Amino acid sequence: MESLEYILFICIAVPLLMMIPLLKGRSRQLLGFTLIGILICLFTSELNSLLLPLFDNDIVYMTTVVTPVIEELSKMIPILLFALLFDNKLDTLFVLGLALGIGFGFFENTLVLVQNISNVSITWALIRGFATALMHGICTLSVGLGISFVRKKRKLFYPGLFALLTYTSVYHGIFNMLQVRYQYVGLILPIITYIPLVILQVVIAKKAKNNEPDNTPEPPIFE
Amino acid sequence: MDLILIANIIACLGALGGFIFGAIKFFRPKKSIYALMITLFCGVTVFTRLYQIIRVIVIGELVDRVNLGVIGFIGSLLFLFTANFGVMDKIGDDGAKSLRKYRLIPLAMPAAVLAAYLVFFFFTDLTTLIKVVAGSIAFFVCLSSYYNLKHLILPDVKNGIIDCMRQYNLFALIYEILCIIELITMTRGLAIGTIIICSLMGIVSPLTIISVARGVKKWKA
Repeated sequence: MESLEYILFICIAVPLLMMIPLLKGRSRQLLGFTLIGILICLFTSELNSLLLPLFDNDIVYMTTVVTPVIEELSKMIPILLFALLFDNKLDTLFVLGLALGIGFGFFENTLVLVQNISNVSITWALIRGFATALMHGICTLSVGLGISFVRKKRKLFYPGLFALLTYTSVYHGIFNMLQVRYQYVGLILPIITYIPLVILQVVIAKKAKNNEPDNTPEPPIFE
Repeated sequence: MDLILIANIIACLGALGGFIFGAIKFFRPKKSIYALMITLFCGVTVFTRLYQIIRVIVIGELVDRVNLGVIGFIGSLLFLFTANFGVMDKIGDDGAKSLRKYRLIPLAMPAAVLAAYLVFFFFTDLTTLIKVVAGSIAFFVCLSSYYNLKHLILPDVKNGIIDCMRQYNLFALIYEILCIIELITMTRGLAIGTIIICSLMGIVSPLTIISVARGVKKWKA
């Protein structure tokens, strides 16, 4: 059972990987980033288990302090590379960030499921589905949104990037801490951050549909 | 109830007010990225305080080991720094020789923060962990406070926006000073002092974004 994580990874990732050549455009990007999320989840789960002995096997400290930083940093790298090398448009990074985070959350849920198969229940599934996976999605989505802004200027880029990392790590840390004792309260956190994002997306889409593109020049401090 | 918990709740509520105000006002397309950064400063402060509150409730300790609250503080200060360094500075300072003294005078602020750090942390018998944590926060306070003081005294010859943002820079500077004082009171177990400082931070953090909104409005008029 030592390589169960890898067995799961192969079972899930290979069919998805085989779909990529058949897809085009945005669909291909979305599936690609979901796969990257799955791969990063495998990588961080290995890294976390390697680091655990360094923190005296204190799982609570590890999950509330170390894991959030490692996971958010790992999830940030592909989005950052994509923004640097290909495209840094807000709407692209928004959806790709979400896809990566959801891929990560999806594989993490699967891993936790097989590791605790005797303790799982419908409530557990609801919490993991609505909260954990969503939390990962929101964190990476925020990174995508943030990068699309800070990428515009070199001076904004480095401090802005670090600031984004701290924000997502703290958010992730709060969620993990709530999982230690108040699981049900933890469920609320991703949902209350998800709803405003959906409203924002709907409002932006509605405006874009109704209005002509706004080509008015922006004043100097408006980027 | 734990006094540190109350202090963090007060600071969290203040920042939450600022974040909601900023989000309503500035989370729209074609809005000032500068104001967005200050709104995010309030947002990160909310999450940092929330983290500290939950940590006290769930785990029961706050200063025994390094925690994400420290990183959150650094993040919030970085948003303040990024706003001035990345967006505003080049508008006010075009590198002219005549502005040299306005680049040098603000160094007084990092020097004062450094002096406070040396006196209250480095040359004391506090643990190495507290010295390192306080040192990293002090470093980022130095960075952001330099630009806040600079933009507070910088003459506005071209655009008019520096003038409009002076009030914000003053509040941001006060906030950064309060950060250092909070560190001092908290690491010395002065609970009442921490509550007073956090209450002030709870007042000042929403004032930063309100003053930015007023500044933008004034500048547009």
